[in-house]
Order: sequence, then C-alpha cells, then structure tokens
Amino acid sequence: MMSLNIIVLVKSVPDPKTPPTLKVDGSLDLKNVKIVVNPIDKYAVEAALQLKERYGGKIIGLSLGDHDNIDIFREIIAMGVDSFIYIKDPDYQRFDTLQKSYVLSRAIKKIEKDLGRVDIVLCGVESSDTNMGVLASQIGEWLEIPSISYVDKILEIKNGSIIVKKIIEDGFITLRSRMPVVLSIADTGYEPRIPSLRDTIMARRREIPIWKTSDLSLEFRETVLKTVRFKQIESKRLGKIFRDEDVDKMIDRFFEELKRDGVSLLR
Amino acid sequence: MPWDFEFTKEQEDLRMVIREFAEKHIAPRIIEFEEKRMIPNEIIEGLAKLDVFGVVLPEKYGGLGLDPITAGVILEEIVRADLTFSLAVAYLVHTSWGYIASKYGSEKFNEEIITKAAKGRLWIGIATTEPQAGSDVAGIKSEARKEGSYYILNGEKAYISGIREAREQFPDGGGHLTLVYTDKTKKHRGMTFFYVPMRSPGITYRLEKEFGRKGWSFGSFAMENVKIPEEYRIGEEGRGFYIAMEGFDHARAYIALANAVGTKRALEIAAEYIKQRTAFGQPIAKFEGVQFQLAQHWAEAEAAYNLAYKALWALKKEMEGKINRFEVTKICATAKYFAVTTAKKALDDAMRWMGAYAYTEENPVALALKAVKSYDWAEGALEIMLLIIAREVLGREFIR
Repeated sequence: MMSLNIIVLVKSVPDPKTPPTLKVDGSLDLKNVKIVVNPIDKYAVEAALQLKERYGGKIIGLSLGDHDNIDIFREIIAMGVDSFIYIKDPDYQRFDTLQKSYVLSRAIKKIEKDLGRVDIVLCGVESSDTNMGVLASQIGEWLEIPSISYVDKILEIKNGSIIVKKIIEDGFITLRSRMPVVLSIADTGYEPRIPSLRDTIMARRREIPIWKTSDLSLEFRETVLKTVRFKQIESKRLGKIFRDEDVDKMIDRFFEELKRDGVSLLR
Repeated sequence: MPWDFEFTKEQEDLRMVIREFAEKHIAPRIIEFEEKRMIPNEIIEGLAKLDVFGVVLPEKYGGLGLDPITAGVILEEIVRADLTFSLAVAYLVHTSWGYIASKYGSEKFNEEIITKAAKGRLWIGIATTEPQAGSDVAGIKSEARKEGSYYILNGEKAYISGIREAREQFPDGGGHLTLVYTDKTKKHRGMTFFYVPMRSPGITYRLEKEFGRKGWSFGSFAMENVKIPEEYRIGEEGRGFYIAMEGFDHARAYIALANAVGTKRALEIAAEYIKQRTAFGQPIAKFEGVQFQLAQHWAEAEAAYNLAYKALWALKKEMEGKINRFEVTKICATAKYFAVTTAKKALDDAMRWMGAYAYTEENPVALALKAVKSYDWAEGALEIMLLIIAREVLGREFIR
C-alpha cells in the first residue's frame, strides 16, 4: 500500500453567518466578530481523509493567522487529521495573498524536513472573507510544483500521478498531474464528515503547536496588493416574475436573462 | 450557592456537532417521521456513529461517561431540530434508563448489553405501566418466578415507547427495564426490575396509533413464560420499585429540558410568523395582546429551562454523592411539572397567533403541542409530580 503525506491548508475567517460591519473610516470592525474555520476548507479536509482511507498516509493541517483562538481548529482534528500546526504572526492582517502563500509554502518546506516529501497539498477553492481563490496556484509556484484549482473530486492515484475531476466554466474536465501537486477543492464532490462526540472530546485534549514566522527564515518582499478600502455591497432581490403559458419557454427566458446578466452556468 | 450559567467549551463543541447533524439530517425530515411513523434508519445510524446513544454510559463499557448536564446540551439540539419530539423520546428514554441499567446491572449484563447500547446497536426502554396500573405502581400484576439461573416472566405492559424499534429497528434489538413482582406480599418491596429483550420468545406486542410524536412507536407487550437469565436482573430482588423511581428522576429532568427547549423553539417560529403575517393593516406581532402573551410564555419557558438544568445538575451531584435522593426527586418533579404545564399553555397560544395555518399536520408548533401532551402522563403523571412536591414540602405524614 502506498503512503501519502498530505497537507491541508485551513484558513480562519470571520463567521460568514455574522460578517463584520464597516467602521466609519471604512475599515473592517473585527472586534465582535466570531472567528471560524473557512467552511469550504472542510471539503479539502474531507478529500484528504478519503485519500488517507484509500491509500494510507498522514495528514497535517496547517493554518496561518494572528488570533489566539486555536480551539476552532479542534473540529478539523476531530474530523481525523493526524496533527495540526498553527503559524501565528501579529502582522498577518497586513500580509497580502502572495505573502501569505509564501509563508505557508515555507512552512510546508519545514514540515518536509521532518516528514519527508509532501505528496499533496490541499486547500478550499477560496475563503469566505476575501474570495480570492488564488492560494493553490501561488503555493504551486512557490514550491515549483503543479497546481489544479476547482477540483470537484480526486479520482485516482496511480504510478505517481494523480487524476482529478476539475470544474470548468461549462462542465468538468478530467486532468492528470504528476505529484507532488497542489489542489484546491470545491464544495461539490465531497460531503465533509461530522466528527463524533468522542473524537470531539479527544480533539480537545490534543496539543496544537504554534509556530512563529520568525522560525521560518523568510525573506519578505514588498506587498504587491494593497487594500484601498472596503465597501458594503448591497444586494437586492429583483423579484422578477415570468408569466407565460408554456413552462419550457419560461425556463428558457429565465436562463437567457441570467446569461445576459453575466451569470455563467454549469450544465 | 455559587452559580455559573455558562457551559464548558467541551459542551459547546459537542453542541455544535449535534447541531450540524441535526440541521442537515434531522430537521428536513421530521414530517416524514410523522407520516411514516418511524425515524429513518439513516438517522438512527448517523446518531449512533456520533456516539449519541452512549453519552452517559460508562467509558468502561464503551460509553462517553459524560454527566447529565452535557447529555442535556445534546438533547437541546435534538429537540430544536425535531419538534415532533420523536427523537427526543428515543434519546432521553435510552439515556435515562440505559444509565440506570448500567448502574444496577451485573458485570455480565454491562459487558453484553451496555457495550452494544453505547454504540447505538441496541435501544433500552422502560416498562412499568400496565393496563390497570399506571400512577398506582403497586397495582401491577406482572410477576417473575425463579427457575435455576433464570426467571420466568408473565404479565402485560401497556403504553410503552419503543417496542417496534427494540424488536426490529436497532441492529442488535433492545429491551425494556420491566418492573414485575417477585414477591407480591411485600408490595413495593416485592418488586424487581429485569431487562427484557423485546426479541425474547414469549413476547407478543401490539402498537397504538398515537396522537403525537408518531415517529417513535408506542404500544403494549405481553409476556408469556418469558425466560430471562438472572444476569439481566437490574439490582437486587425487591429493589425494583426504588430503582424505577431513581430512573424516573432522570427521565423527568430530561423531559423538563425537552419541554422548555421545544417551547422556546416553537415561540421563535411563531414569532417569525407573526412578524411577517399582517392583520388589520399591520404585522400581528405589533398587537400588544399578542406581545404580552409571547413575553409571558417566553419568561416561563426561560424559567423552565433553568429549572430543568437545575434538575440535571442535581442528578450530577447525586452521581458525585453530594445530594440526597429525596432532594433530587423533588427538584426533578418540580422541573417536569413546571416545564410541561407552561409548555402546553405557550404552545396553545402560539398556535392561536398563527391562525388557521397552525391547524395543519405540518405546523411545527402544532406538532410540538401534540408531543408535549404526552407528558401529562409519561414518566409520571403531573398529579404525581404535585404529590411528590407536596410530600417533600409538607412532610410524609401529610400524605395519605
């Protein structure tokens, strides 16, 4: 049986159910925000667990942030990852996405020193706070390995390569890649497991090592992206009603209008 | 007394586990519970996988060994998702009587039965009531006689929850802690408790068409020369009545919590409705006549909720040997009485605010009211609760 070394990247985000509000100066008011695990990252964790169940191996969870609420990661441990490492940096909020991916890729390099080659790095397709969706490709670049974004499902690992079903604009495509590889997992092909009460209790007793970015021998560059300001988006219901005798015609019209508004649809 | 209204972090973690499962898998299907008169297997299996059936059972036998307060936190999430109370019954009966069975059962019984109960492979229920004896427990007629290392049981039990589930649905079946006489001349002191597997030869049963909480079966079973190994005796001969009373305290505390939480949830649902629905040109919620009723019921439900947790706290203290039996019985009876009486009034009013829409089979408030009605009797009639409270307040000499 093969044995895979898998790293799952998990981000802490403000609870999407109660998003932060804006202060008068336009900055985010994070004071009363509840921090949770980025919901889509749980699909990546599930993908990792299913790989381990099928091929054997070890899963390490990895997160970068500036808060002290490490308890939120216990749910990921309860789901079944073997260990979890949290990198804490007080300057995290000032990092741009390239710096974040740089820190994470250095941490992956450090983990490799103890663990041996990491075969697969997984993350969710995007975070619910910034919705950038660029982490997988950036990590791939930093580590100089292939990356595939928007993976619906990992189909198979064979002869050192991995076969995945990837979501594309109007459907799916099956891709083969050599390993190591970075994959971002969508919330379509997997159903994250709910940990048992026993595993939840046991997870509370587990230690979560906290690393500092100063331990990672980093050479920081200038931030490429700068946050100019945040703006509250107002969403409105259009409440459009289609009235027509023929149901098929109404459906066609509905899709036409969506298309006209720039909504792309999976078939 | 120092008092802390906060749950521990562990309890909050466990709450979130059950909430996630309940929102995803339970809440969308409760109408199906009622229509099919059963809980789908996937839900039972899913809860079993999460260790829900082993919460208070000893770690030594595969349970989690958690306390009644933590068991209450889990019950809260089950009730919030299922206002039919079918799953609440499944959980709280098994949790209460499973604990009692384990506490007083033999080593062999624990190894054979409790290990399976903790994994949710087997369900444990309670059978004291008979066709002619409910609150009047001493009036039961079922009896057991000893033959070698077995007991032979005969009699009939009525209005019992979970017969079908213990016979057919759980992979390893299940059984009921069944109260019978081993010596009729000694009255209460002649009663003994047995674990009676519902798949035993000699058991016949009949199911009722219940008024509410239809997802968990409710019926009668007859025992004709049912052979039960002596290891399935729960506690000593002659201690059955007292062990049953202890088990009722557990069940009453959980019932109190289920009623309080169910009421709060139903009030939330009704509140959402009356904020949307208008009458005479404004939302129903703007009428003070409705507001005052809502506020009053909310206050009572909140009081019932805290009283229920006091009862669960008392059970925890009893496990730690820090409180006496009579005090526990008094608190549990008080909690059940208050929670059930206030729940019925609140749910009745909440249905009225919701108008004719409330009078449908799918209205969650109506489902809750039908379920709560069962607690006029289940695990001790409300009048018995009053007798217990009066006895403890006035003294035994004032009770006939």
